[in-house]
Amino acid sequence: MGKTIQNTIRRLRFDHREMTQQELADKIGVTRQTVNAIELGKYSPSLEVAFRIAEVFGMPLEQVFQYEVKRG
Amino acid sequence: MSFREKSAWISFLCILVVGGLWLADVIRVEFYGVRHGNPLVYFLGLVTALVVGEIVLHVAIALQSPHEARTPEDEREKLIDLKATRLAFYVMIAGGWLSIATIHLRFSGFDVSQCILGSIIIAELTKFGAQIALFRRDA
Repeated sequence: MGKTIQNTIRRLRFDHREMTQQELADKIGVTRQTVNAIELGKYSPSLEVAFRIAEVFGMPLEQVFQYEVKRG
Repeated sequence: MSFREKSAWISFLCILVVGGLWLADVIRVEFYGVRHGNPLVYFLGLVTALVVGEIVLHVAIALQSPHEARTPEDEREKLIDLKATRLAFYVMIAGGWLSIATIHLRFSGFDVSQCILGSIIIAELTKFGAQIALFRRDA
């Protein structure tokens, strides 16, 4: 049983006038590479960064990040 | 490639080159008994070359991407640094104990100090090597 944190950052960036990873990175105070790693699910951000991302998109946290339990 | 990854590559390669030259000199002296000039001057020359090489190359990549160079480390980069430093610490501890053990092999004080220096070099290579691997894996 695996647990993963999924996110919708890529779609949200697209919906927000095709915001680039660099623009999002500048707004939340991390590097572009970190935004890329978060988007790909390779790095789980701290609560603070997660809240900052949600704030940029004007969304509640649970609409940006979802905690999923994969069975099998 | 990010600025921090480039920086890790520079440090890794500089230490690898300078450490390799140092090791070649140790082998030359210990196994073949060939000594060229004063060992302290040679060692200080290597340290100077390492410092100058690192500064010049870091300035070069900072000029290439000034915005990234000015940006402080973010949480992921700090985590990568911590993980790499922890791994290097174990290497350093193992090297320290092995260096102490060489006393029982009747190594001279100078030889023990060379073993400790070798441990530091290997630990540094481990640190920057681990940083590069972690940057690549999370890229």
